[in-house]
Amino acid sequence: MSGLLEKDLRLTLSRKQTLLIFLVAAVVMSMSMDGSFIIGYVTMLASILSIGTLSYDELDNGMSYLMTLPFARRTYVREKYLFTLLMTACAWCIGTLLYGVGSAVRSGAPFTLSELPMLLSLLPVLYLAAALMIPLQLKYGPEKSRLVLFILFGAAAVLIAMGSGLSGGQAHFLARFATFLDSLPSLGILAVIVCVCAAISFVLYLWSVRIIENKEF
Amino acid sequence: MIKVDSLIKNYGDFHLNVSLEIPEGTVTGLVGKNGAGKSTVIKAILGLIRPDGGTVLVNGKEALSLDGKEKQMIGAALADAGFSSYLTVEDVIRILRKLYPAFDEDFFRKACAEQGLAFNKTIKDFSTGMRAKLRVLTALSHKAEILIMDEPTAGLDVQARIDVLDLLRRYLAEHERCSILLTSHISTDLESLCDDIYLIHNGKIILHEDTDVILGSCGILKVSEEEYEKLDRRYILSTKKEAFGYACFTREKQFYAENYPGIVIENGSIDELILMMTGGK
Repeated sequence: MSGLLEKDLRLTLSRKQTLLIFLVAAVVMSMSMDGSFIIGYVTMLASILSIGTLSYDELDNGMSYLMTLPFARRTYVREKYLFTLLMTACAWCIGTLLYGVGSAVRSGAPFTLSELPMLLSLLPVLYLAAALMIPLQLKYGPEKSRLVLFILFGAAAVLIAMGSGLSGGQAHFLARFATFLDSLPSLGILAVIVCVCAAISFVLYLWSVRIIENKEF
Repeated sequence: MIKVDSLIKNYGDFHLNVSLEIPEGTVTGLVGKNGAGKSTVIKAILGLIRPDGGTVLVNGKEALSLDGKEKQMIGAALADAGFSSYLTVEDVIRILRKLYPAFDEDFFRKACAEQGLAFNKTIKDFSTGMRAKLRVLTALSHKAEILIMDEPTAGLDVQARIDVLDLLRRYLAEHERCSILLTSHISTDLESLCDDIYLIHNGKIILHEDTDVILGSCGILKVSEEEYEKLDRRYILSTKKEAFGYACFTREKQFYAENYPGIVIENGSIDELILMMTGGK
């Protein structure tokens, strides 16, 4: 596993120019923009970079060779989920630091501790998006997986649109659920988000293991 | 060390059905035309594909279920795949150090330097020969007991080929128990390295012979139609119609030399073996 982490770290660091551009853009945005958008932006970029290592692995039949190396196939998947978690967590820390520094420079004070649960909730949600990309990319490859992701988001948008058109009892139920969430303390909501995202990520991990164990190279 | 027993794999119209065995300390060559099934056999041994039937045992265990520790005993160099070309040799060293407890960094660094592989240059900037050398050196770097080499010399110039073969010879001299399965289109590479040769054609092994026998006892009889009619064809493995008459491949050239002193007999080679056994009637 440590060898795979080393590989992915080195592949990510090989994109020095991209990383530098991302970092400069993040610093500029943190100094010029209000709000916590910067945290989501940096975390999302990190998740894209970590998923990008899958594309590097698949380049030039690389997966055939990788699968001859001394680890089980499920270890490869486990490493991808761990690497993505480490990348997004580090990026969240950097983003939060930039947000704090930016806020301090603009308004004289960084964010308050009460904001932290809300800021922290970005991490599991963005990790979940990356966790979904792993099985899609393993199953469909880099190009097709993006298409599948667009279709999934499109389907989600349609469902939301349909949900907004609900009437009567169903709409009432959703409204009550939203009120229930509002009544929870922010730490409670964070705990719910973390648990839900962790559970879905685990299911996606199992799906990824199934895909790679049945895949031929 | 490796036992492939009735391995079956079907891809559309292509059907592979192969049995072969590579004992400890043996260098085995797998030859055949393009599309004969060589790479499929290699992939099955490396656990990259799921057989439709039969068994592939590596050190007595199913190739598909080898765990990380058991795979440390295998060194693989594939024809068209390796570490990402965005990595440098220095990166590869750091990765191998963590993947293989037996990684011999001193050997690897020394061999890379000897072969002129720059440590801080990305692999994508390497020539074809340099990439091939890196693939072979990587496979040799962790004291593997089984080496699987798929076309390690394909596309290389003469000097690069000699260098790669020398690397293998040196490794064999230092690791006598090591078994190697080697595929190559270049017969002289196999003739100089392999103890035995399997010839695969249309997904089937059509000949298995010691290299010494192929080079020493096999030959091609060049006979006219008249001579062909009189020929004792018991030891003829394959016959091909030529402009002058027939070319007949035999594994008993001494028998024909003694009994038919007038006919032309050419020495056998792996190239001839492939041509005659896969193209004759």
